[in-house]
Amino acid sequence: MMKTLPRTAAFLVVVGGLLALPRYVDSPYALHMMILLFLSISQGESWNILGGYTGQHSVGHAAYFGVGAYTTMMLLQAKGIAPWFGVWAGVAAVIVVALVIGSICFRLRGPYFVLASIAVAEIMRLSAINLTGLTNGAEGILVTDLPPFKIGERVVTDFMTKVPFYYLGLALALLTLLVTWGIERSKLGYYFQAIREDQDAAHSLGIPIARYKNIGLVISAVLTALAGSFYGIYVGFVDPPTVLGLDLSVQIMLIAIIGGMGTLYGPVLGSLVLVPLSEALRSNLITDLLVKSGLVSADSRTGIFLKENLAHAHVLLYGILVVLVILFMPEGIMGFVKRLASRRRKEAV
Amino acid sequence: MAVFLQSLISGILIGGVYALIGIGLTLIFGVMRVINFGHGDILMVGMYLTYILFTFAGIDPFVSVLISFPLMFLFGGFLQKVFINRVLNAVAQNQILLTIGLGLIMSNTVMLIFTSDYKIITTSYSSSTIQVGGGVSVSWPLLVSFLITAVITAVLYWFLLKTDTGQAIRATAQDREAAQLMGINVKRMSIIAFGLGSALAGTAGALISPTYYIFPQVGSVFTLKAFVITVLGGMGSVVGATLGGVLIGITESMSAAYISSGWKDVVVFVLFLLVLLLKPSGLMGKSRT
Amino acid sequence: MRKHLLALGATLALSPLMAQKIGVINSMSGPEAPIGESITNGIKLAEEDLIKKGIHVQLVWEDDTGKPQISMSAMEKLATRDNVVGVVGPYTSACSNAVSKLAQKYRVPLLIPAAAKEEITRQGFKYVFRMNAPADRYASSLIDASLTLGKPKTIAFIYENTDFGTSTSKTAKDYVATKGIQVVADEPYPKGSADYRSTLAKIKSKNPDLVFMVSYVADAILLMRQSREVGLQPQAFLGGGAGFTTSEFAREHAISEDVISCTQWTDDVNWPGAKDFGKRYKAKFGKDATYHAACAYESMMIMAECAAKGGSNRDKTQALLKAGQWNGIMGPVQFADYEGFTNQNNHPMLVQQIQGGTYETIFPKAFATKKAVYPFPRWK
Repeated sequence: MMKTLPRTAAFLVVVGGLLALPRYVDSPYALHMMILLFLSISQGESWNILGGYTGQHSVGHAAYFGVGAYTTMMLLQAKGIAPWFGVWAGVAAVIVVALVIGSICFRLRGPYFVLASIAVAEIMRLSAINLTGLTNGAEGILVTDLPPFKIGERVVTDFMTKVPFYYLGLALALLTLLVTWGIERSKLGYYFQAIREDQDAAHSLGIPIARYKNIGLVISAVLTALAGSFYGIYVGFVDPPTVLGLDLSVQIMLIAIIGGMGTLYGPVLGSLVLVPLSEALRSNLITDLLVKSGLVSADSRTGIFLKENLAHAHVLLYGILVVLVILFMPEGIMGFVKRLASRRRKEAV
Repeated sequence: MAVFLQSLISGILIGGVYALIGIGLTLIFGVMRVINFGHGDILMVGMYLTYILFTFAGIDPFVSVLISFPLMFLFGGFLQKVFINRVLNAVAQNQILLTIGLGLIMSNTVMLIFTSDYKIITTSYSSSTIQVGGGVSVSWPLLVSFLITAVITAVLYWFLLKTDTGQAIRATAQDREAAQLMGINVKRMSIIAFGLGSALAGTAGALISPTYYIFPQVGSVFTLKAFVITVLGGMGSVVGATLGGVLIGITESMSAAYISSGWKDVVVFVLFLLVLLLKPSGLMGKSRT
Repeated sequence: MRKHLLALGATLALSPLMAQKIGVINSMSGPEAPIGESITNGIKLAEEDLIKKGIHVQLVWEDDTGKPQISMSAMEKLATRDNVVGVVGPYTSACSNAVSKLAQKYRVPLLIPAAAKEEITRQGFKYVFRMNAPADRYASSLIDASLTLGKPKTIAFIYENTDFGTSTSKTAKDYVATKGIQVVADEPYPKGSADYRSTLAKIKSKNPDLVFMVSYVADAILLMRQSREVGLQPQAFLGGGAGFTTSEFAREHAISEDVISCTQWTDDVNWPGAKDFGKRYKAKFGKDATYHAACAYESMMIMAECAAKGGSNRDKTQALLKAGQWNGIMGPVQFADYEGFTNQNNHPMLVQQIQGGTYETIFPKAFATKKAVYPFPRWK
């Protein structure tokens, strides 16, 4: 209890700061970056439950994200159903989808499980492209206006600014953290980790493997679908490659892996690295910073080369980052930090 | 009837190229249990190599295989020694991420050098056909690719069956620890396997270049297909990958003709899942966990 | 004389202080990068020409990598952080559709140079303007041209299953219904397939009079090569996509000859400065100018002029865009409201045919330079 008090206090301080932030920061761009951060944390934490804690490394999580996004958007566009109702249809849909996918994939282990999860997500993406009557196919669904959210007669928000999305995103991120924290401290967590460490041993101890794998999958899928629904109403546009693509599945996985799988704050750390980094790379921020700080002159050969090519090279740098992390920090940042901490403790002794 | 025959023939021919890609991947997975998500990008490098040889040295793509094969072998060996070797014992998704990262580095470096412009190699025979009557035509360059693939597969099979190195590779694929205990240098086998697998992927790229087009992101199209083929044929089986490649080629072609071009990839993936569920060791594979 | 020189000097001296901050959203990396490059080059030429007119622009470049949600992020940044006067771009239909909502929300004038999807300017957005003719024009001009050349009764569609391919062929399908032409095949394909032979054989078995294709250049070449192999022999091949209008396509003599396509611009139409633009572009960038480059050039010229006249004020710029009329390398340009469109330039599409390896305009009559070859001659 004593050890966790400062940690809990720190957590509450951070959350308090985040709650108050929109009062002092009104730049829509800054709020947008925070929303992207919250989205990334939600995605990473959700994947982490299945991948990090239960050891089932799905590379097809875009399937759940897409089901959430598409269900909410389809209902909104076709039937005018407000997203706060539509999102529950998304949850119901994804539970069904997850159980079906689980029944296919959980019979397989290791690399075969991974490949099956990819195949399933690809089938969903291709179906979304081809079933144009249902999903509007490759053109995607674009919804320009959200209905105002009313309690009784009072309009709470009309979604015209980013602020309501900021709080929704924050709530979602906190929800995923809370669920993960709860799992860590419950029997569920024990079962998940037992399955992860040695599935056969757990089975011989009498743990119903299939049941708990599916529970982990359903929790993970529901949270991912909520993130997908949120994404849909925030961005206002969904199409098959964006919300059902393999790139997305890889990205989601990366958040947890870079931060540290199977840890509570791993995906948070991963998001803190990936979100600012990809935006900085894409928008030439790094070149601008280098020039402003005087390290590189804007007219020098290096300066011109960077300016012309860094924007094009952001994916290349992403690839290099992935390789470096896997080779030198395979347990992610949390793992790296823990190892440093334990080494320091050993030295202290 | 003409539609059926045309689909069948073009499916078999393109299946030959797919087979070559699958064989490379099955070697890598069989020997090292590594999921190489950069396989398609290695194929892409082979394509650009062919392009350079064609454009700057005037070497015909089919002839250039003699040059690109050894070069791609060395490239693959380098990748294995420097990068892949370190994740041989890591969890599956770390291998996936590493190979994805390497693939991204490959495709984006090529993009920086050559730009994203599509490169087309047009040879004198690029659209040549042989008319087999009944309105069915056989693409001449594809036929040549198919024949070359058959020859390579036969040579490879002989290599794995009859030579010491080949047998050592098979032993490593069968049981890595036992092979090591028998005195086989498994590290070197891994390098050779990755080198061979890359050489095959690069060759597939060379063979398909007269009838396709070249751009940095072409790899992603082929990587997933390669996995489907490998699993279908049985991980580690060269004959299996060959059959798997041809089977997938025919499936795609027929699905495009009789269902729709849009659904053909879905059919392939559904087939993939069925194989994983019903006979995970694939057509030719032996049951193994 | 001295007064004039003084005034000129003063204007030149002051103009850097009044540099117009204009945002550019473009697909500079990713799969659309080759065409994004044309747009970049067109804008760069415009930048030079604007200086000659005494207008300085400070361009803020944003790469959307071809993805709509990144395009939206870029628009957010330009509108709220960089405080640009106006935005030129994006390139793809999907990106343009996505950012138009944001442009309207933030009241930032957006001038879209080359996106085809009709819907973009059918939403009543006062701040969104489009330079190029939308997809329904692609379809109608190609079909109308065919109808003046022959009496086709059936048509087959083969197109990439992306937003662009699907929406362009959709409008074409609607149009042929009004002209009594029957659709006998409808084949969307995933981009990047190596083998279309079986699909083309299937289309061949339906014996269509017209084959309507929507693709980018690599698929266009493959489709035509494989059509030849399979022996697909319609009265005409109609290329409704950007791939069929490039010089790379025309270079493939064996398979591109007599293919009919439509374009927003060629360098031999008698629009003021068009030929000169083509020459300068080739000299500076070593490649032939495409319609993307021309559309982007003219869009930037117009946006910058309005921004300068409007004193870097967004609402004033919007009003000037709405009210203005120009006549440059894209011919007469006016952003009007008609037939359900808002702020759409009623741009005539040119139908061209590759004859002897070069593009010849064959339709409409006012711009035609050569007679069309119809029907499509037997494959050798």
